[in-house]
Amino acid sequence: MDFMTIFTQPQLLLLVGLGTFAGVYVGAIPGLSVTMAVSILISFTFAWDVLPALSLMIGIYMGGVYGGSRTAILLNIPGAPSAIATALDGYPMAQRGEAGTAIGVTTVMSFLGGFIGIAVLALAAPFVSDFALSFQPRDYMLLAVLGILLVGSLSQGSLVKGIFAGALGIAIGAVGRDPLTFSERFTFDLTIMQSGISFIAVMIGMFGVSEALAQLHHVDKEAVRQKIDRIVPSWATVKKHLPLSLQTSTIGVVIGALPGTGGDIAALMAYDHAKRVTKNPERPFGDGAIEGLVAPETANNAAVGGAFIPMMTLGIPGDAVTAIMIGALFIHGLNPGPMLMVEQPNMFWFIVGALVTANFFMLLFGLTGIRLFTKIVEMPRSVLIPMIMLLSIVGAYAVNNSITDVYWMLAFGLFGYFMRHYGYPLGPVILGVILSRLLDDNWRRAIISEREDLGAFFMGIFTSPLSLVLFLAVIFIFVSQTPAWAWFKGRVFGRRAA
Amino acid sequence: MKKILSGALGALLICASAAVAEYPEKEIQGIIQWGAGGSTDTVMRSVTPHAEEVLGGKVVMQNVTGGAGAIGLNQVAASNPDGYTLLMGAENPLLYKVMGLGDKDYSDFTPINILARGTAVLVANPDAPFDDYAGMMEYIRANPGQVRFGSTGPGGLPSVVTSMIQSVEGELDVITVPYDGDGPALTALQGGAIDVMPAVVGAAVEFIRGGKMKPLAVIDTEASESLPDVPTITSFNEGYAEHLPWGPFFGVFVPKGTPDDVVAKLTEAYAAGAENADFVKLMDDRGFTMMSISGAEAEEFLNNWQQGTAWLLQDAGLTKASPEEFGIERPAE
Amino acid sequence: MPQTDTHTIIDPEHHDGTSDATPGGEPTQRRPGELAFGAFLLIGSLALLWNAYGIAGFEALSSPGAIPMATSFVMVVTAALVLLRTSRLPPDRTETISRDILPPVVLIFAALLIGYGVLLRPLGFLPTSLLFLVISIKLLSRRSWAWVLMISVVCLVVIWLIFRIVFTVLMPPGIVPEAEFIQFFRNMIGGGAS
Repeated sequence: MDFMTIFTQPQLLLLVGLGTFAGVYVGAIPGLSVTMAVSILISFTFAWDVLPALSLMIGIYMGGVYGGSRTAILLNIPGAPSAIATALDGYPMAQRGEAGTAIGVTTVMSFLGGFIGIAVLALAAPFVSDFALSFQPRDYMLLAVLGILLVGSLSQGSLVKGIFAGALGIAIGAVGRDPLTFSERFTFDLTIMQSGISFIAVMIGMFGVSEALAQLHHVDKEAVRQKIDRIVPSWATVKKHLPLSLQTSTIGVVIGALPGTGGDIAALMAYDHAKRVTKNPERPFGDGAIEGLVAPETANNAAVGGAFIPMMTLGIPGDAVTAIMIGALFIHGLNPGPMLMVEQPNMFWFIVGALVTANFFMLLFGLTGIRLFTKIVEMPRSVLIPMIMLLSIVGAYAVNNSITDVYWMLAFGLFGYFMRHYGYPLGPVILGVILSRLLDDNWRRAIISEREDLGAFFMGIFTSPLSLVLFLAVIFIFVSQTPAWAWFKGRVFGRRAA
Repeated sequence: MKKILSGALGALLICASAAVAEYPEKEIQGIIQWGAGGSTDTVMRSVTPHAEEVLGGKVVMQNVTGGAGAIGLNQVAASNPDGYTLLMGAENPLLYKVMGLGDKDYSDFTPINILARGTAVLVANPDAPFDDYAGMMEYIRANPGQVRFGSTGPGGLPSVVTSMIQSVEGELDVITVPYDGDGPALTALQGGAIDVMPAVVGAAVEFIRGGKMKPLAVIDTEASESLPDVPTITSFNEGYAEHLPWGPFFGVFVPKGTPDDVVAKLTEAYAAGAENADFVKLMDDRGFTMMSISGAEAEEFLNNWQQGTAWLLQDAGLTKASPEEFGIERPAE
Repeated sequence: MPQTDTHTIIDPEHHDGTSDATPGGEPTQRRPGELAFGAFLLIGSLALLWNAYGIAGFEALSSPGAIPMATSFVMVVTAALVLLRTSRLPPDRTETISRDILPPVVLIFAALLIGYGVLLRPLGFLPTSLLFLVISIKLLSRRSWAWVLMISVVCLVVIWLIFRIVFTVLMPPGIVPEAEFIQFFRNMIGGGAS
């Protein structure tokens, strides 16, 4: 049982392939999540050996993270939160009939990102996990602030409206019983509010139902014919974006390896990074820039390898899916923890092997069967729109088996419809919800640790190199979004800054 | 329309025949109070397949999370008491009333099986300037307001253990940093964000073995089988004996009012499931003490647990409402 | 059927923000209803701020109310700014609420969705969904009942198979005894589970 095991046992190979194939569809359907699929697989594979069970789960994981991009590109409905950024440039491409190109680039770049994530896992896992562990509550808080500043790049149009949307997201994330003290927040004394608002329900409502409602305005418009003859991107295209994809993959691995942050935040941060470093995109961002696909897709697939790093080296989950896999290892009689790498290094190499295999299968399934997916967009809208609505309802229910989530989803669907019409960007709302807990919990932990002393809190930032770097990044990104910076840049570099 | 009609008719027929069939004649819904990947989830997903074999039916398990488990509990409490909805939970509901988290607890349920009990252990970051419980207490007294304890919110295991320490040793001047679960808190312990964490043995044992944290004392009167070398807390201070043994537990419940034959069948199935060798090994590895009790024995266990813990928290000033208000008596000395 | 001619006259520059890339709204003009929406957001934000203050007041920096108060304060400020700016823009006279913001077809669908939410628990997933699909597809496609019914049933069966059978998501059964059905088939296939 080691790296080669998977390649010598056709049965395992088949299971990884099957898992990856299923994962693409699980990922593509909003409301079906990899987390859900993997926890169902625990019961399903209960009587199996551990290797086949893991093979299937790893396949689903890899395929699922990639699959979220499909519906993001084709329908402007991200199949998973980690594909939100992909919709920003992927959907405009599909509207021009270039869905094939977009899916091709996405697939190849996901493969590349996935591969880099696995490489880091295989070569530098102990180093990265030590680094990830060294993040203190203060650092997580700074990371969340850094994330919130992405509102700037997610708000095409009005920045003030974007900030409002971001703050709204954070408030939505705070609804319910606070997990640290159990005090009620924004519940208005209603029992129904106590469990909080599932952010998947918000996402499905805002992107699924509100999109479907907006599409009703042009229900009779002919669906755009998709060109799907040139799917695999040329070597020149890949080469051109190689430097960017290496950078965004790094973002993906690190954010993925941090316990408490995952592919969703990684993808948004990578998108922001791409916007910052790309000087002359062929098309502007938000209008179908290839870089806008490269960045989030490399990052979210690199985050898969990243999430396995603390799991394999320390027994600490890097995200929700790896948390369930740790449970699966227990059930199958293994003891995941820091000793797993020492006592059973073969298990580590088997997982690396399975991830590599899943990554290749993802490339294979990603580049084939696109016709079937594009057929979905070419379906008459009179059928497509009701289907999207029904799927949104079922998906929202499935998150936590709760009708309340369905009501929330519908409410946010209607609210999002008005937001769209009056020019409020929806991306920052989801960003805010994703970051809400990260910001709130860690701010409170950090300040409690300093006994409510703000002075000591700031001293802490300046005495820890990691905190200092994050703090300076926050300052830099903040300043670079202000008009003063544009003026400064114009003076120094002698050209008009955007 | 025809389709619906014929469907309804067929359904009616099946219903009629179902009335005489034996339980279970359809799949059973198992509501897990806590999220996927957590210890309640892991335990329930490993015992249930063995119970299914005896039951001869399928149990579909779902995680209904939120409100410290109260959402899932209320959902099952509101369901039909027909044995088709099970609650798979942990110890927390017994504290809902005093912590102001809900007005229902296990007194609204019939226990099917209390599967196992966990033991708590006090662990510290390997770099902490003390190596055992006595050293820790000394350090805390010498450096008031310096040591950071991890917690998992009011009513969680760490808060109960901390209350125990306060009731035996007097006021503790430490910083309590809240986390949303023992997993994240133990991660923070390894990263040095907190210094000491009371945790269940199962969650910490692998990290201790790997040298990522050091055990200070087992919160029990006898050494744990998983950590035979770690001294018990009573070996440092006999005063703990009155509160011990104490630990979190896992159990399967049905709403009160479920027919007796259904309860009997479920009890039989889960008792058999709990005896399965694979399951017992899994629980041993994780440092849990198998209990597998039901009926009056289980109710008495729940009652004692609730009395002891609720009053401990009450005396530490951590409760929202006095146990007295809910008729929870102070445990007899 | 009021919607038969509505879509044809919808202005192609609909500003509905069907893509985040081309956000809706008009930067230089005020759309119908925009002022009311802005006012609604401001009032909502004020209510949230008041509620956030009620969580713990100014008790401590680490109180559960600290971040909610900060965020709802940002919401109030930005909502007020947006409202101020919106009120200064000239209204767009070419648009009307009933044509560009809430055309009848959108209202009908909003009503259908709300109806779905109301009926889901008492009626159950399968009947409610079938009803929803049949009505909505019929409204939009204006094809024959047979065609609509066939498409709806096929779609519903696919969704049901994926979610109910593969992912064991137990949607509210309502009046259809789904679980008994499934057990019936399980028994037929497996010859009895025990």
